[in-house]
Amino acid sequence: MPAIIARDLSKTFKTKVRPSGRLAALRSLVKPEYRDVRAVKGVSFEIDDGELVAFLGPNGAGKSTTIKMLMGILRPTGGSATVLGLDPAEDRVELSRYVGAVFGQKSQLWFHLPPSDSFRLLGSIYEIDDDDRRWREAELIERFGLAPYWDVPVRKLSLGERIRCELAASLLPSPVALFLDEPTIGLDVVAKREIRQLLAEAARVDDTTIFMTSHDMGDIEKVCKRAIIIHHGEVVVDESMKALKRRSLSRKYVGVRYASPVDLELPGLSPVKRTPTAASFEVDTSRHSLAEVVRALASRGDLEDITVEDEPLENVIAAIYETRSGAEAQALGLNASKGAGAARAGEAASA
Amino acid sequence: MRSRCYAIAASTSMRERAAYPGNFIGSMFTYALFVFIFSRVWAGAYAGASEIAGYTMRMAVWYFIVAEVPSFGFGRFFWTLSRDMKNGQIAYLLARPYDYVGYNFAEKYGGSLVEAGVILVEGLLVGILLVGPPPLAGGAPSLAGGAGVAAEASRALLVGLSLLLAGALNYFLQASIAMTAFWLEENEAFFWIFQKLTLVVGTLIPIEFLPTAAATLARLTPFPYLSYAPARIMVAYSPGEAWSLVAAQALWLVLAAALARIVFSFGSRRLSVNGG
Repeated sequence: MPAIIARDLSKTFKTKVRPSGRLAALRSLVKPEYRDVRAVKGVSFEIDDGELVAFLGPNGAGKSTTIKMLMGILRPTGGSATVLGLDPAEDRVELSRYVGAVFGQKSQLWFHLPPSDSFRLLGSIYEIDDDDRRWREAELIERFGLAPYWDVPVRKLSLGERIRCELAASLLPSPVALFLDEPTIGLDVVAKREIRQLLAEAARVDDTTIFMTSHDMGDIEKVCKRAIIIHHGEVVVDESMKALKRRSLSRKYVGVRYASPVDLELPGLSPVKRTPTAASFEVDTSRHSLAEVVRALASRGDLEDITVEDEPLENVIAAIYETRSGAEAQALGLNASKGAGAARAGEAASA
Repeated sequence: MRSRCYAIAASTSMRERAAYPGNFIGSMFTYALFVFIFSRVWAGAYAGASEIAGYTMRMAVWYFIVAEVPSFGFGRFFWTLSRDMKNGQIAYLLARPYDYVGYNFAEKYGGSLVEAGVILVEGLLVGILLVGPPPLAGGAPSLAGGAGVAAEASRALLVGLSLLLAGALNYFLQASIAMTAFWLEENEAFFWIFQKLTLVVGTLIPIEFLPTAAATLARLTPFPYLSYAPARIMVAYSPGEAWSLVAAQALWLVLAAALARIVFSFGSRRLSVNGG
């Protein structure tokens, strides 16, 4: 049975309309008007035990709202969710025994106290007996390298050190599933790399199902095996990271530099950058043979350097983010093979 | 054991509050200033009068000293709860295997005991410096020797108990108001009204100073039990009245705790935390 199932999951918030003008403002005090904001519009997916899934989308796409519905913090206005066999909306407290969470912009640690105090409290919240807690703490201290700041007040830790502690704290009760909402936000390159390694290791060692939102392509490529992209409240892509990366492989960037100025006219290809002795080309490999392009460029002059690069994954995802609707994202030719929400988006596109 | 979790939450919160003694300086200064100003106000009011509504000047000053302890020690639950709800921290707090209202009470109330204790000790020192020791328990130069000590001990115990009940009642009433944020975008006006009623009904002046009808009406509300009860026990101790005040506080506490649970039970279903 999958660890997480979402079926047509929807959430509509009611927000008060603030009318302009004094008379309208007074009228709204007596008879307020509300507008429906459809944050999540019927998303569907299934996530197996131990899967590492990136849940992506631009700001306001509905990622955090979906996570909160899956944790039982928000009640869906439509559809259903099952997490570890439980209905999050009805069994929130029971579910919280088996599910951990890290919200990158929030903290579960006590600010003026060392992490050890927060871990002790968390141990009591999850009813872990003291001996088991100490054993688990020792394991996490070693794995996450927390020893140097185990007894240092959290306020004195760097952001990277704090996030390490947050992540370790969320793993203290050995959760079956872990929800992470932008866990590396604000971290420097080194701290990000460390957190990604720790996350991947947590998934491997504890066989934890990981469901992670992030805007950082590095997080996604290094940690996750599958990507679900949500946009305008709908799933528009649901496929393996390999498949997502293959999209970027269909486009290559070829850069060349010559010892002296050359003529670089190639049939059907125009350079995206050009100087008298250098140029770079964007090559759609479905239309042009990469080998022929390289051969043609090598034959044009005294070649000093040539580079061939994949299109960054970021560009593929940015193209989806820039669309105005789920249907439009689908029209980019991206396949949402697993998601029913995406299937609907596909139908809308074809209509 | 859930009770162990709540005990650890309270002790952790107490240590967090005690980690920065400097945090108390602002409220300690304000409290001392208020007590000093009110002692001067009462000095003016009592010029030419030895008693007002059964209170001597020394009783009135000591009344104010004790009545202000809950305001300073237990007066900020609304703001901390509202902050958790508005900044989305509640998402973390709800995703835990505990009874949210019980846990939150243990954490917030536990932490507030540190500040309330500091303010109470300060109040005792400031009071002794300004007007001398509080009136004797039982009115009582007559209660000499062991009986006097027993009356003083019993009063101290009941003042302490009454202050603890006042704090707990304060928590559940403020929590009930704060949790209206599940429905309302703006709920500070309710707390503003609550604060002002608390001040007028038993904090700034004893209930006995109010007109009879207003005093009778006030006794039907929870407000006198937020500050009047411990202050009255302190300055006009009699075991019968003290126990009846404590019993009324306990009753209001049960009602307020039930109200908070009902508000949470309905409100949490309407939680609206949009965005990360």
